[in-house]
Amino acid sequence: MTDAAERAQQLALVSRLKTIFPEVPEWPTPDMITHDHYLAYMKTSHDVGGELDYPHPYENKEEEQWELMTYVLCEVLGMRGIWVSEERRRLANVDVGRAIYLGLPYYSRWLWSVGRLLMEKKHISWGELTDRLAEVQARYAGGLNGQRPKAEPKFEGDGSGVSRNKHHLEAAGVGDPQCFAGQAGVAKFNVGDKVKVRDLPAMFYTRTPEYCRGAEGTIAEVTYESPAPEDEAWDREDAESEWFYIVRFNQAELWDNYTGPKNDTLQTEIPERWLEAVG
Amino acid sequence: MSEHGHDHDHSRTVKPMVDEITDFEVLEIALRELCIEKGLFTAEDHRLFTEYAEHIGPTPGARLVAKAWLDPDFKELAISDAVAAAKEVGIDWLEPTGFGTPSDFVAFKILADTPTVHNVIVCALCSCYPRPILGNSPEWYRTPNYRRRIVRWPRQVLSEFGLQLPDDVEVRVEDSNQKHRFMVMPMRPEGTDGWTEDQLTEIITRDCLIGVALPRPGITTNVTPLVRAAIRPIEA
Repeated sequence: MTDAAERAQQLALVSRLKTIFPEVPEWPTPDMITHDHYLAYMKTSHDVGGELDYPHPYENKEEEQWELMTYVLCEVLGMRGIWVSEERRRLANVDVGRAIYLGLPYYSRWLWSVGRLLMEKKHISWGELTDRLAEVQARYAGGLNGQRPKAEPKFEGDGSGVSRNKHHLEAAGVGDPQCFAGQAGVAKFNVGDKVKVRDLPAMFYTRTPEYCRGAEGTIAEVTYESPAPEDEAWDREDAESEWFYIVRFNQAELWDNYTGPKNDTLQTEIPERWLEAVG
Repeated sequence: MSEHGHDHDHSRTVKPMVDEITDFEVLEIALRELCIEKGLFTAEDHRLFTEYAEHIGPTPGARLVAKAWLDPDFKELAISDAVAAAKEVGIDWLEPTGFGTPSDFVAFKILADTPTVHNVIVCALCSCYPRPILGNSPEWYRTPNYRRRIVRWPRQVLSEFGLQLPDDVEVRVEDSNQKHRFMVMPMRPEGTDGWTEDQLTEIITRDCLIGVALPRPGITTNVTPLVRAAIRPIEA
């Protein structure tokens, strides 16, 4: 932005970006917020299963080079113990908020999460990031002229003093979740048991979808031991492992007015903390 | 105006197209440079993972299913220990880090269709997908639209892919929202008697392995077309 007119134009554009219920004014007072609206705002934005939508053509796209590079960047950070993938999922799919979640491309959120991670874990400062962004922008100010943009690190840093997780060492040679085997004791449920998904007031992060909370299902498989994503998402290496289960739900019971045959099913994996025995 | 005259005029009046770097490219490059300078990983780490990522795709998944169609013992292995079965088609689930790709985990399960059960996969929370054996997911698989609807209206969504299933076939949606990754093993279609593993592999498309299509002799392409070109696509 270079002048007042451009600044005004950008402000007008941002003014049209809405992320609130239209029936409640912006910046509401506490008495205007009902419990169901509160839950809607607190719902983790990645949890979209069952939300209303209309048919849309299912199409594929070609990947940009930067999209592949972003995928690699995130995975290499995991490989070297800077984060586990659950931290990325929280940052990129939930912490971004609804506007960015639905408004920007898939891999741009992965990228956003890397910036956020490096800042929050103090690997880089705001100044370092900002200066580098300006520098890369300036490098290509005259356009790319048919060239591909290139990463040009000034040197390779000595990584020996970098703070890393234990996970990338403990999982080496065995895998994740294998590295947590034997840590959770006896599984509380067995195949065939009837269970109910607890309706917990989950804030900030979870991978137990809202659509099955309070629903009853059957244990289809006792799968593995692992810390729950609700802990892994926050880099809690002190978290205890628990058992995970694949739970089978009958679709006609899970959804109001399910239109398919009575024997259709849905399965999803749920950690033990979310399940209680039925009967 | 002559051809020559037109070209001359054009070059004087039209501003040359500048292929500007995108905001996403700037951010990716800045972050990668800083990571390497801070020693979080090395340029060699990045190069090796890139090489891995460039070589994953759905062919091993198709071959695994073709092998299972031809060999009942292998089919049993595929259902009981999918990680071991994947190894037989060249996919070591611990690669390329020694503990797998950080986002996919070493928990892989193959869902075998039967005459009475049809499986279809989704990750309603993000885009969990068995990357080591199928490559990166197609864009539609990641969209909120597919994720919102397939869990609740699976038959309607499948019919939009051209797949209509009779009522006596149970549709089982597998929402892979934790560490397990899933792949569907469709049933071998009629009209493929005497086919070789290579021939069978060709009709097992990625869409069949997700569960939104069934293999059919003569069909070797996905239902979903590639419609949107990238500005600067992945370098060949």
